[in-house]
Amino acid sequence: MLHTLESLESCNYDGMDMTVLERQAARLKWQQQYYVVQNNNPVPLSASSVPQSQGLIGSNLGSGQMVELKRPEVFLGTDDLQDFVNLPVSGPDFGESEKLDLVPPEAAADYCISRTFNCQMTTPNIAVMKEEREDVILEKIESTTGSGRVSFNKRKAEAVADHKSKDKRIRGEGESEVKTKCSTEISRNSSKENSKASEVQKPDYIHVRARRGQATDSHSLAERARRGKISNKMKCLQDLVPGCNKITGKAGMLDEIINYVQSLQRQVEFLSMKIAALNSSVELSVQNLPMKEFPAYVANFPAAAKLPEMAGLPCFQLNPLQKESVRFMLNESLHPPQTEGVARASVCITEQSLSSSSMTVIFPTSMIFNCSSSLTSCMMFSNALHLSNSYCSNCNHSQLGTWILKAFTTCTIWDFIKIVELNFVFYVNR
Amino acid sequence: MDLQNLNPSSLKSRFTARFLRALTEINAPKTISSSSPREIFQRYRRIKVAADKSMAYSVRSRRIWSRATLWRLRTRSRSRRLVSFGRRASVKTRTTASHGKENKEHHGAVLGVQAEELRELVPGGEAMDLCNLLDETAHYIKCLTTQVQVMRTIANLYSIE
Repeated sequence: MLHTLESLESCNYDGMDMTVLERQAARLKWQQQYYVVQNNNPVPLSASSVPQSQGLIGSNLGSGQMVELKRPEVFLGTDDLQDFVNLPVSGPDFGESEKLDLVPPEAAADYCISRTFNCQMTTPNIAVMKEEREDVILEKIESTTGSGRVSFNKRKAEAVADHKSKDKRIRGEGESEVKTKCSTEISRNSSKENSKASEVQKPDYIHVRARRGQATDSHSLAERARRGKISNKMKCLQDLVPGCNKITGKAGMLDEIINYVQSLQRQVEFLSMKIAALNSSVELSVQNLPMKEFPAYVANFPAAAKLPEMAGLPCFQLNPLQKESVRFMLNESLHPPQTEGVARASVCITEQSLSSSSMTVIFPTSMIFNCSSSLTSCMMFSNALHLSNSYCSNCNHSQLGTWILKAFTTCTIWDFIKIVELNFVFYVNR
Repeated sequence: MDLQNLNPSSLKSRFTARFLRALTEINAPKTISSSSPREIFQRYRRIKVAADKSMAYSVRSRRIWSRATLWRLRTRSRSRRLVSFGRRASVKTRTTASHGKENKEHHGAVLGVQAEELRELVPGGEAMDLCNLLDETAHYIKCLTTQVQVMRTIANLYSIE
């Protein structure tokens, strides 16, 4: 090829007819040819005829070039190919278009890629490489000219810029097509990038990826976090409070929690009452009367003595109904206690008195307790307590406590304990 | 039943020790026959106060409810001794209640009614948002259960004797 150029120049110089411009044009063309020789395979150019080379020189690189590039084996001898094989194709410098073009395109692409895959390549280069595999021929065509190289560089830059966006696509391709270290590196790097995006990048901000259909402003995020905390705590409370496994929903759970706390507080009160009563019994060594003797014990108490005490309670105002019931009970107590009859009567009275205020329900039942046997009275009392508590608010409990103590003045400690224990059983089983 | 707990520094053992000490103090003065209702009632009140106080001291003001209980007990005892301070105590309770109400409106929780009830139950719960309130409730329930257990065993012991 050079001889043709030399011939051109020689004729230029010999003729001396060419102007300076023509000479410069000839020099430019020579330079371009030189570049072409450097970048492309010298084989096709050398083996090509003059018109083909002239076609190469011009910017009109058409199919002729492609044809030439595609069939390197025709032009290249085996020796030349081996020369090209020995050329250093370094991995990191892969971006240099010249070196890529030294090798036949398809084989070169495969060879380069295989060589560069063995090297530890960075992801953008690999991406660029992979994209080049598809567009390698066009790139070669463009790179033959100076402008082509610029455009190739541009394409490379675009490829690098598009790398992040096509991350997943390339990863998918990489994993499917090429199974080497670098493909796993790609996936690792990209997954690391994705995970880093969700982790703390700066110490000030926490970047969270919002789920589909949910807002991402700070207020809603904070609200969501707060709601999550509350639901976690509700779950812990569900473990603490017995019998809450079936209940779902915050409202029901809160109701159960409130009831449980109330019952625990009442238990503490009753237990303290019990201890107070027991303490006195222990100190005085009060007789622990057996159950059989109790009715006689109670019957011995003068009913008249009880009445003024009951009437003296300031906090309760008896309805006419309750007054009648009290009188009825007192009348009953004078006679030998017939437990069942009294119990039935007391039931009626309690049901009637339920319609009125809650605290006064206790009143007749205490009378019943004083008159009848311990067990039935205990049952009555516990029922009355239950009913009263369902109507009472918490503030009445102290009143209830005082009232119970005052009402049980005539009872033995043993009976009192029995009642209290029954109430415990009731409260625990609620 | 064995009152000696395995862990000497657990909540249960601390509460038991304090409560028994308080009980011995309460039962020490025995001049009048204590079968009268008034005496029993008074002793009941003292025992209840002692139970709450010993439980709050066992928790050692790590929790809001224990601090509130202790503060309440102290102000009550102070108000009993000095009448003039009683007004201040009532004013204090009023301010805390109003502050709690403001908080309630501010933290417009969905379950406002039940949260309010819970706040009334748990001591010191008026000035807490729902998140902390649930924490305090959980700890309060745990302490109450231990209290009930210990007192039940004590009562059983007494009743056996």
